[in-house]
Amino acid sequence: MSTAPDEVLVRIRGLRFLRGSRVIFDGVDMDIPRGKVTAIMGPSGTGKTTLLKLIGGQLRPDAGTVEVDGQDVHKLSTDALYALRMRMGMLFQSGALLTDLSVFDNVAFPLREHTGLTESMIRKLVLLKLEAVGLRGARELMPAELSGGMARRVALARAVALDPMMIMYDEPFTGQDPISMGVLVKLIRQLNDAARLTSVMVSHDVAEAGSIADHVYILSGGKVVDQGLAADLAQHGSDWTRQFLKGSPDGPVPFHYQARPLVDDLLERTA
Amino acid sequence: MIRVLASLGRAGIGAVGGVGRAGVLLVAMFAGLWELLKRPLLLVEQVYSVGTLTMVIIAVSGLFVGMALGLQGFYILSQFGAEATLGVMVSASLVRELGPVLTALLFAGRAGSALTAEIGLMKATEQLAGLEMMAVNPIRRVLTPRLLAGVIALPLLAALFSALGVLGGWYVGVGLLGVDDGTFWAQMQAKVDWYDDVINGLIKAAVFGFACTWIAVYQGYDCVPTSEGVSRATTRTVVHSALAVLGLNVVLTALMFGN
Repeated sequence: MSTAPDEVLVRIRGLRFLRGSRVIFDGVDMDIPRGKVTAIMGPSGTGKTTLLKLIGGQLRPDAGTVEVDGQDVHKLSTDALYALRMRMGMLFQSGALLTDLSVFDNVAFPLREHTGLTESMIRKLVLLKLEAVGLRGARELMPAELSGGMARRVALARAVALDPMMIMYDEPFTGQDPISMGVLVKLIRQLNDAARLTSVMVSHDVAEAGSIADHVYILSGGKVVDQGLAADLAQHGSDWTRQFLKGSPDGPVPFHYQARPLVDDLLERTA
Repeated sequence: MIRVLASLGRAGIGAVGGVGRAGVLLVAMFAGLWELLKRPLLLVEQVYSVGTLTMVIIAVSGLFVGMALGLQGFYILSQFGAEATLGVMVSASLVRELGPVLTALLFAGRAGSALTAEIGLMKATEQLAGLEMMAVNPIRRVLTPRLLAGVIALPLLAALFSALGVLGGWYVGVGLLGVDDGTFWAQMQAKVDWYDDVINGLIKAAVFGFACTWIAVYQGYDCVPTSEGVSRATTRTVVHSALAVLGLNVVLTALMFGN
């Protein structure tokens, strides 16, 4: 890649990960540039969420290294790993809000856990974070009273509460109506640029992810099959990549599951 | 035949693995104890949720069990003209055995299953993973206070159970069946020992509280994070807790009252 070493925030080398005997990743190399929005795309079941968990140190790889900001995530002590995680935000698919706390208390949670700030200071910070995602008025609500899109926005406010250096988004657009999808797309880009974050997003919503990503990695079968600028890939990527990005029903990934010719099946006498 | 042996072996290995994971979890929970000292409010919340919210069922059950004991005791003791010792019979059986054991069984059904379901659902909805990514250790933040709360709450609940049981026995014996009020209390005072009976009963309850809560939080934390997995884990909590309580009771009774 062309980026200089210090511009790379997350460096993954030779990553190999097995789940039971199933190979999820087999020799994945990635460089996630600092200050950019990087989208990691791929078909369902390629382990995109697993990749985020490997970056966050929640899973251990079978081989290879993951470095975040120059630190090898899987060689850190527990305390150092937790210190690193304070600088990483993660937005889970479900939002992962604490169901027994209100919206306000959810966003205040990391501040109360990790900072010695006074309640009045925390209140101001929480209100600012909620204002950024447009939900200052919803602060008294409980997570069960929120729509899916609102829950994700609250989770986003919580993820940026400690002003992290990067945010990981796990399928941020799945199951959203067009309006909340648009809101999320705008927020992710805005937060990235305004707070000078690094954003890593795994998604299979090609249009939305592609529209805000600076850089795209495409995963399939445990490997990086293509990478580059979002716009270039749709034009010049491999046949497989173009099929994936355009969502064509037939191509290198065939529409038909492997079978013998239809005529043979039809003419067969049932004994 | 081979298949039966293989499945037996698999079940055995699974069980040993489970015990190992529960042990590792226990050590990890202990590591959070001193952090808890700095934030006692977390513990207070949990004592409220596993203890205070379980009080009604414990109080009512204690009263009913005491009344039944009073009735049964009176019929048997009166055959020997010994109904004056009804107070001793009711209170000794409550503080030594029935109080701690029945309280623990009710606790497992009311609070233990709720703990498993709560923690299992937190796992299924990624709340535990979310805590980890917020650099908050879910074992220390979520599990340790619950474990300690169970150890604190169960002796208190067992004491409540026994106290109301004695009142229930007194109401039936003295109030309805005509045992002398003074003898009922005097005999109890003379024969039931503070240390041998009451304290030992409370120690039993603390051990049961530890076992039940450990099982409950382990099952929740270790469950398959789906709705089916959570429901299975909840069932296992109640079954394993009941067996553990009854088994431990035999051992503790032998140790405490053996000679």
